[in-house]
Amino acid sequence: MAEKTFIVRIKRQQRADESVRWEEYELRYRPHMNVIICLRDIAERPFTRGGVESTPVSYDANCLEEVCGACAMLINGTARQACTALVDDLEKPIRLEPLTKFPLIRDLVVDRSKMFEDLKRTHCWIPIDGTYNIGEGPRMAPAVQEKGYPLARCITCGNCLEVCPKVNSNDSFVGAAIVSQVRLFNMHPTGAMHSAERLDALMGPGGIAECDNAQNCVKACPKGIPLTESLAAVNGQVLVHAVKSWLRGE
Amino acid sequence: MSAATAESKTSYILDKLQSLSGVIPIGAYLLDHLWSNSYALVSIEKYNQVSGDLQTVPWRIALEAAVLWIPILFHSLYGFYIWSKGKSNALSHPWMSNWMYLLQRWTGLIAFVFIGWHLYTERFGGHGVTRYAGVAEDMANPLYVAAYIIGVVACSFHLGNGLWNFACKWGIAITPKAQRAAGWFGALVGVSCTLAGIVIVLGFHYAWFPLGGYVQ
Repeated sequence: MAEKTFIVRIKRQQRADESVRWEEYELRYRPHMNVIICLRDIAERPFTRGGVESTPVSYDANCLEEVCGACAMLINGTARQACTALVDDLEKPIRLEPLTKFPLIRDLVVDRSKMFEDLKRTHCWIPIDGTYNIGEGPRMAPAVQEKGYPLARCITCGNCLEVCPKVNSNDSFVGAAIVSQVRLFNMHPTGAMHSAERLDALMGPGGIAECDNAQNCVKACPKGIPLTESLAAVNGQVLVHAVKSWLRGE
Repeated sequence: MSAATAESKTSYILDKLQSLSGVIPIGAYLLDHLWSNSYALVSIEKYNQVSGDLQTVPWRIALEAAVLWIPILFHSLYGFYIWSKGKSNALSHPWMSNWMYLLQRWTGLIAFVFIGWHLYTERFGGHGVTRYAGVAEDMANPLYVAAYIIGVVACSFHLGNGLWNFACKWGIAITPKAQRAAGWFGALVGVSCTLAGIVIVLGFHYAWFPLGGYVQ
């Protein structure tokens, strides 16, 4: 009996400034395969469907359980994690492309350091150390913990930026993930001590006012984070902060 | 505050003013405009009386400039700039709110062109002083009727969807439930304005006075 196979089409590019080529691979089907397994199969035997020898496809992956965010790519045009994209559920041939909103490094690998830079710029951390022991922070109410937990599930995969009409080369919008992290850290009793810095940063270029409410982010989030709720909540925080600072002449 | 920080907040303030100007005064004026034009559905005399009063308000030019022309020009031109910074992807991600994002931009453009033409024909050019007979003469032309219906639908959609955007972008409607409610509220405003506008246009076209029963 003939082996069951399926086709994977991959957009490949050696470097961002080199020409694009599409390669087709015919892979042996096994139950419960995901897209990462497909890419590993190709690495094992990098021969295209036409029998031409190619090179293993470059891709990012780490945890393989959708908690690291590394393997975000366009799978059949949808921004999602390759590790949880099951071959059984995907329309064939499966089309793999790199995310388009980040600088390309090679094949399916993109440079998402913009998100890290924006997390730093918006002060998305909680300082717990000084030059001396600053002691314990205030206690956090369980109700606040419960609100914060879903936001803490963000894996910085970049899917929300990929689908956002306002994240593109014309605009410096930080994107929903970063705004949602600002909300998380402002919610934390120790983090709240630096909320003014975060809100000031979001008032600047690429800040929250760039959001035009297309609400694609929340649909693309693999972790089900209420991103539109975060955007609206932080919009309100920034507005109140802006009006207060203005009235006080700060 | 350093000069750089002060400068970097300019775009935030302009974005917020763009958003606010769409509701107050422009959105509020659309409601008022549909209200005063609804007198055309009562009687010719009533319409001429109300429109005559409106056209003889003191400080008319200053009032029109402050409440209408400057806000509409700012809202539109800055709106086009915001549009130019976005890249719609409704075809590859055909979610409803993504289509609304695209429609909000196109209805804004249609409304801008319509309002410009409307001002030219009814305010600056044409009759000089608007009276029922003059408007009815224009509205006898089916092309005018078609253009007005397109304009009314575009303005109403833009306001209704804009109210939803406003509620989200000013932190008024935060939870998904509140945002859905704001969406329904916007839809109600949009549909009401559309219906009122179309009835008024048809009233002029057919010399139809469905609300004339009020007149003793």
